[in-house]
Amino acid sequence: MSYPLTEEQRLIGQSASEFAKESLDTIAVDLDRTGNFPKAEIEALAGYDFLGLLLTAEAGGAEAGFISYVTVVEIIARSCPAVASIVNNHVLAAYAIQKWGSKEQKQQYLPAFAKGELLGTVAACESGPAGIPNPGTLVATRQGDGFVLKGTKNFVKSAGEAGVYVVFATTDLTTKPIGITAFIVDARTPGLKVGAKQDTMGLRGCPVADLDFDNVFVPESTVLGLANEGAAIVGETLAVASVAEAAQTVGIVQAALEHAAAYSKQRIQFGKPIGSFQAIQSLLANVAANCYAARLAVFDAAAAIEQGEPFLAEAAMVKLLAIHLGQKSLIDVIQVEGGYGYSEEMPLARLYRDVAGTTVRDSPADFPEGLIATEIA
Amino acid sequence: MQLTGAQLHLQALAREFTAAHIIPVALELDRKAEFPLWVVNEAKKARLLCMAVPKKFGGNEYDSVTQSLVVEELAYGCAAFATTLSGNGLSSYPLLIAGTDEQRSLYFTPIVEGGLGAFALTEPGAGSDAGACKTTAKRVGDEYVLNGVKCFCTNGSYAKVFVIFASTDLDKGVKGLSAFVVERERAGLSVGSVEHKLGIRSSNTIELLLKEVRIPADHLLGNEGDGMKIAMKTLDMARPIVASIGVGIARRALDECLKCVRAGRPGQMVQFTLADMEIQIEASRTLVRHALSLKEAGLPYSKESAVAKTFATDAAMHVCAAAQQLLGSSALSSGSIVQKLLRDAKILQIYEGTNEIQRIVIAGQLLREEAAKNAASAAGR
Amino acid sequence: MPKCLVCYKWTLDEQDIKVKPEDLSLDSSRAKGKISDFDRNAIEEATLIVEKNGGAIDALSYGAPSVKQSLKDVLSRGPEKVYWIGDSSAESADAKVTASVLAAAIRKLGQYDLIVCGEGSSDLFNQQTAPRLAALLGLPCLSFVQKLTLDGNFVKATRNLGDCLEVVTIKTPAVISVLSEINKPRIPSLKQVLGAAKKPNEEIKIADLGLKAEEIQPKAVRKSVKGFVMQRKNVIYKESSAADNVAKLKVSLVSEGLC
Repeated sequence: MSYPLTEEQRLIGQSASEFAKESLDTIAVDLDRTGNFPKAEIEALAGYDFLGLLLTAEAGGAEAGFISYVTVVEIIARSCPAVASIVNNHVLAAYAIQKWGSKEQKQQYLPAFAKGELLGTVAACESGPAGIPNPGTLVATRQGDGFVLKGTKNFVKSAGEAGVYVVFATTDLTTKPIGITAFIVDARTPGLKVGAKQDTMGLRGCPVADLDFDNVFVPESTVLGLANEGAAIVGETLAVASVAEAAQTVGIVQAALEHAAAYSKQRIQFGKPIGSFQAIQSLLANVAANCYAARLAVFDAAAAIEQGEPFLAEAAMVKLLAIHLGQKSLIDVIQVEGGYGYSEEMPLARLYRDVAGTTVRDSPADFPEGLIATEIA
Repeated sequence: MQLTGAQLHLQALAREFTAAHIIPVALELDRKAEFPLWVVNEAKKARLLCMAVPKKFGGNEYDSVTQSLVVEELAYGCAAFATTLSGNGLSSYPLLIAGTDEQRSLYFTPIVEGGLGAFALTEPGAGSDAGACKTTAKRVGDEYVLNGVKCFCTNGSYAKVFVIFASTDLDKGVKGLSAFVVERERAGLSVGSVEHKLGIRSSNTIELLLKEVRIPADHLLGNEGDGMKIAMKTLDMARPIVASIGVGIARRALDECLKCVRAGRPGQMVQFTLADMEIQIEASRTLVRHALSLKEAGLPYSKESAVAKTFATDAAMHVCAAAQQLLGSSALSSGSIVQKLLRDAKILQIYEGTNEIQRIVIAGQLLREEAAKNAASAAGR
Repeated sequence: MPKCLVCYKWTLDEQDIKVKPEDLSLDSSRAKGKISDFDRNAIEEATLIVEKNGGAIDALSYGAPSVKQSLKDVLSRGPEKVYWIGDSSAESADAKVTASVLAAAIRKLGQYDLIVCGEGSSDLFNQQTAPRLAALLGLPCLSFVQKLTLDGNFVKATRNLGDCLEVVTIKTPAVISVLSEINKPRIPSLKQVLGAAKKPNEEIKIADLGLKAEEIQPKAVRKSVKGFVMQRKNVIYKESSAADNVAKLKVSLVSEGLC
């Protein structure tokens, strides 16, 4: 890739690669098998400043910018996609608090986030098929000097391990658009229940569970940004998440591509390495081309985020590209390895399961196509 | 294509069977990768086993459309179960193609009694290149001695009888391949490793080890060197069945989506996704029926068979991916059948000849037909 | 509080070099630069010494103009300042020229307690730079070092000589060359990477070093570099019994001197 990375960005990627080779390549298979939380690896990532990558120096972060971030995410995802999920959700929560948090909130959470002493995550998902509203939406009602939260957030990544949840709740269903408020909810808040850990098809090292709010009281001080004006926060946070998750998808596809390409050079059938057959070359080439394009789109959106330029439409386009890339690529790449590609003794089966978790739409309302179409009109 | 009363009856039977015996346990058996031995017995009782075996030998001798209907229903419940139960069909076809009555009796008797059969062609070095088989069958007196390793053999751990492909003349390459009937009890035949698979996990897929396995010479199907022809004809018969598994999976994926969306008012994108799924399913089924109608009429159908397999299995994969997109994260937790469908669908594009090989078969046929046309018109001038 | 200097080489990452099958020539077009492997150990060792004993580290490199790409990489690993000589003469330089240039630069930079190098470079592995440097500077040289401790003015080194280990103590200043076993270079943290931009670098022009013409004339001239492709013997033993095959294999292995 000739994308003009600065030397720092390149060196940050180098450190990430070395870390991934040393500490993540070796755990990926076991993590998938056991579903255990990779505590040691997350702590190590904090030690190298990866968890505080986007945070200001004042907060103890590295202030390395979003382009460095997507570089790192792709590299981590190439080695261990589940770890990339955990990191993405943590960094996303950090981003939200850094951008919209009050001075007190920033002081309370960001240094601990940077050091990895506190794990954060964003609870954005609500279950239900695309395009169909979910009645289980989290609702926040004013009460005294705070709010009472009632409802459920689904498929919350890092649920149970996170110490802090950035959560979006509806506060006014009467207005158009509906009023949303973002909250920073401490995991120990009374009444907050983490549901049973889900057994997911892939990304198994990243715990997933529902978050149940059974009339949970949260004080005013937990409001992130302004009450009832959280729609913009949701939009931007999910847009940033799209770009970060797309970088993860690109990493998974790249890893699968490299494995299949290497296999195609070794596997001899009809007297030749199968990599010399046009059908195989075409398969690999198309995946490579799509991966290349998606990566550049990720970088462009990352640059927009870093430079403070508008990026919502770009992020939505990146999301669409990543969905197509993720779904199609692993289906095609497994073909190259045939029956062996289908075996769980080889990595492609696991990557096939992992990539599916990066190509989901967050909620019934998640319709990037609509956002894009509106922007380009 | 209209179905006859008998065909509709068996389709309904298969649907009931699936609802009663397969759907309730499919997810759990997949999770545990547990082989459903008992379902073979249930299928026998319901007369859904031995579908290809002639009545003369105690089988059901259903026509191929009926077989495809049944398999589609079984696959609707679980592709692994469908693979297991149609493994009998796959391994029965060589006997129908090239077996003598004695050989047929030898093979079909245990199957009709409720046992399983297994087809062993693939080897570690012979996947798409089936002719690269290294397993040998050496003629010694009035026996053949088999040595080698087979892999990706469905039902191998449980099969009572096998059709095993081995070379009677390595120097002849593809033309040296021969097919043999081998009973499980033969000394030297053993199960090696068991495959841990991405999907169809309750289906048994194994490595078959052959060490000095002696079989009577009359266990050779057809003549020495007929192996490839037998294998190819077998695959022609089997491909529409695999295509039917694809149709079953795709239908299930669509139904799961419909179940989820019917409560609300699905937006246009959801509607279009459902429509596209239906288009793929209908087209797939039509291709299967078309290929089978040619077969039943005794007409050549290799190309149509490959077309049906390719289209229906690619369609199943795309329909499952679309279902995953539509249903979101809930599709990915182990309690959802959709994540299983997503994993099961993938193998269909690979086994019974990868879809790349299918395209070689189809293109080969087209080019031969074109060449024949040219030769004919040149001759006519 | 030792003043350390680490000499490093900016080489191509051999992983990305492709050998063209037609003529075994090398395609380095996709190869990126890296700090030579053992030099990383040298930098890490100096860093560990300074972390323990105080002091500071300078880095020095003589290479092609592309050596400029190495500066932040080096500065993110411990050194406080990097001096660099980027000159096309480096592309054809042999060990004699390299040592002459480095020695001349070091004479300009001043006194160091320890001058640390990697035992050999990733690409040529001549293993001559450190001893030649020491000779030119009139300093003692400890090579093949797998363990190093500094105690005041004395440095104690364990040298791995292949069939034995030798422990030597000498008085600084000294030139040391290290083996990869000596340490495991730590991965630079993001803050270290970003902090590198704040550290100084200084270019030294080769013309300013006052070297005589013959000092920078290589004695060994590289005519061509070809890739090496392992030729397999591809012998198959096809005797009817396994015992016969094993016997033949044994004879073959013995005749090749392998056992």
